Amino acid sequence: MSVGDVAVAVLLALGVASALMGSLGIVASRDAYDQLHFTGPATVIGPVAIATAVLVEEPLSSAGVKAVLVALIMVATGPILLHATARAARIRERGRWVVLPKELKEMEGPSRSSRP
Amino acid sequence: MNVWMIATTVLLVGLLPCVWVAMRGTIMSALAALELASTITTLALLMIAQGLRRDPFMDLALVSAILSFAGALTFVRFLERWV
Repeated sequence: MSVGDVAVAVLLALGVASALMGSLGIVASRDAYDQLHFTGPATVIGPVAIATAVLVEEPLSSAGVKAVLVALIMVATGPILLHATARAARIRERGRWVVLPKELKEMEGPSRSSRP
Repeated sequence: MNVWMIATTVLLVGLLPCVWVAMRGTIMSALAALELASTITTLALLMIAQGLRRDPFMDLALVSAILSFAGALTFVRFLERWV
């Protein structure tokens, strides 16, 4: 077993573990906002680790280029989708996206407002 | 059965919690589970293509990555206002 094989196995384990932890976290958390957090590592760490594993095994090949392309697409679109979903969840919950001044005051709480 | 196919088999187990949440959770939780499931599916297609040493199969992962983004955005748009 060469160094490359070990590197491929480690990168695959990292990618698979990030996706599995995300799917376990999505069951463990109750809120949709918390669940959205757990989709983050799977869309960023997973594709990067697996594309790197493909590159380690076959550098400068058609498979390597396509794997990097898939990873780039997933890394670019994952956060956009996460933000859009969280935005939709808030609009469903509150009926709007903007934060009202009244809500900001509630978030600041009495400790900050009581400062001199 | 090489290391890629073993890793794919382990990865596909991660779809079961997503199916559970999509069936039992609220509609926004189900959407979060759908997004994670599509990520896992794309990664699995990528790893199967590499495990079978078939370069053309990589195109399936590419198409899945693009279409799952478009599909999830469509769901988001509908769930934001209308459903």
